[in-house]
Amino acid sequence: MSAGGVAAGVRWPSASACLAALAACATFSDTIQSTERGLAQQQPKAALAEYKKLKPNAADRVLYLMNTGMLERMAGDYDESTSSLEQAKHLVEQLRALSLREQALSLTVNDATKAFIGEDFERVMVNNYLALNYLEQGKLDEARVEALQVDVLLRDRGQKTTIVKPYEEDAFARYLTGIVYEDEREWSDAMIAYRKAYEAYQKQLKAFGVEMPETLKHDLIRLADRMGLTDEAKKYREEFDIKDTMSEAELLQRGEIILTVHAGLAPIKRERSTTLPNPATGRILRIALPQYRSRARPFAYASLAADASHSARTSRVENIDAIAEKTLDAEMPLITARAVARMAAKDTIAAVAGSSNSGDSGGAALIGLLVNVAGVVTERADTRSWFTLPGEIHLARLALPPGDYGIRIELRGRDEHVLDSGEIKVTLRKGEKKYLSRHWIPTNLEVRP
Amino acid sequence: MSQLLRAGLALCALVAVSACATKVERLDESQAVDLSGAWNDTDSRMVSQEMIQDSLSRAWLQEFRGRAGQNRPAVIVGEVRNMSHEHINTQTFTLEMERALINSGKVDFVATKAERLGIRDERKDQDLNAREDTRNAMGKELGADFMLTGTINTIVDPSGDTQVRFYQVNLTLISLADNRKVWVGQKDIRKLVTRSKLRF
Repeated sequence: MSAGGVAAGVRWPSASACLAALAACATFSDTIQSTERGLAQQQPKAALAEYKKLKPNAADRVLYLMNTGMLERMAGDYDESTSSLEQAKHLVEQLRALSLREQALSLTVNDATKAFIGEDFERVMVNNYLALNYLEQGKLDEARVEALQVDVLLRDRGQKTTIVKPYEEDAFARYLTGIVYEDEREWSDAMIAYRKAYEAYQKQLKAFGVEMPETLKHDLIRLADRMGLTDEAKKYREEFDIKDTMSEAELLQRGEIILTVHAGLAPIKRERSTTLPNPATGRILRIALPQYRSRARPFAYASLAADASHSARTSRVENIDAIAEKTLDAEMPLITARAVARMAAKDTIAAVAGSSNSGDSGGAALIGLLVNVAGVVTERADTRSWFTLPGEIHLARLALPPGDYGIRIELRGRDEHVLDSGEIKVTLRKGEKKYLSRHWIPTNLEVRP
Repeated sequence: MSQLLRAGLALCALVAVSACATKVERLDESQAVDLSGAWNDTDSRMVSQEMIQDSLSRAWLQEFRGRAGQNRPAVIVGEVRNMSHEHINTQTFTLEMERALINSGKVDFVATKAERLGIRDERKDQDLNAREDTRNAMGKELGADFMLTGTINTIVDPSGDTQVRFYQVNLTLISLADNRKVWVGQKDIRKLVTRSKLRF
């Protein structure tokens, strides 16, 4: 009996030492300030270099690849970015299977011990950014592969981790795949994708506050006309109050510039915790839950102009900020239930540790206290999220006669003042589409202390 | 007893260490290894083998040889477009087809567009720098009689942990003289991919 007591006495401190050691490693998102600072200073290359100093553990590998891929894209290394995001995608495939070890750890230590595979919207974003990488490099067929994959991902409910009511479709993903199919001249597929985007924007207007993009209205009419769907085209014309729109035949005589602007950064997850003593037992209880905090969003729209008569402005096509918040809201009941169960489990362990050594009450109390403290210290919220995603995405399409252009792009703030501007030289051929993108991050980005 | 224990511990340590080392195993190239269910070398090989056999046994070859003054048709590889939902390197099986067809002695292959540019540069260089009796003149290239093009298409039906993947590879041989399609090869592959539900 006493031998067992001694063994237990040895076991408990070592267990609590392990817990304390675990707590010492801060969660992944806590080590990103310097990366954010680089981004706020408009130096994506420096931010990438900072971020690459991180040595992620196996559980955070996907998150590391997602962030690296996005930073590489911002720095203009498209091939590197594609390689990182493809790796992330393949790793997610492997990690989707349930790990009993990780489930046990998440119920006894904290949620951040689980392998990160991203939320549904984050996984869709991997495909979206891969498609954009390929499009900007002129690899249309490769972008088409991503379009097909995103379709499988959105169609397969079994691949979803949470059912977030308004986020059953990703409106921007559907819109982008429509653009890819139209560029491939696969009219019926393009029509279907535009229609799905239309339905998604309608359904999600309330939840995510993204209006039907101006360009999509014209795209729907143009494609419906091209397909000979007279009634449907008429319906769109009436609904959007659009009389004139360029026909597909006219568009094919011109070139087109498709600009995406990736503004700001996605919200960050912070920890919200409560620690209080339980007067009945004298032990400390702690519960920690994640919470999103939105970033500054001064960007309103971008305008692009080739000359006095050819210009366009962007419409918002995706509000990642809102999607992220709604996703966390939907997951909160489960996260909370797990945190409560964990708190109870940790308290029970501390109670057992404190009473197991009946012979030495002082020692037992000390061990009980140590285990209690270790349990409290390790109680951390899972604050991992793809923090280099933009807060929102805007898109514009501008059809131009074939020729050489210096396209002037101006990013404007909510009060109309110019946030940033620049010129891009573009050569357009007949029927050609050129994809351009700008990442813009405000200098006054709220950076973690 | 303690010696036995120590030996056991050492053995355990060895096993643990060996498990961490990178392990490489050479595989026979005809052995099918499916890891993720995605398109792999086995699919590529199956498709090219079937296509080669089919293309060499069809009427177009006999018909071409029957023409006056013609012996072996010259073929050029055009684009095989990947229309599937996976990033597939189509070159692996076009190259395999090219190799097998050349080695069969029944077909000539001419260099592709990109390859030709390099060869022409070399010929230009010969014109300036090579000995006269070893020089190769311009304008003596072999024009192709047929062009090989194709597509890879897929249909994916996902349902939770199970997916049915249907691949269809189409290859077409088109006569450059009159745009006639002289041979169409098709190979279908169907796979049932079941994702593991549990991991360590």
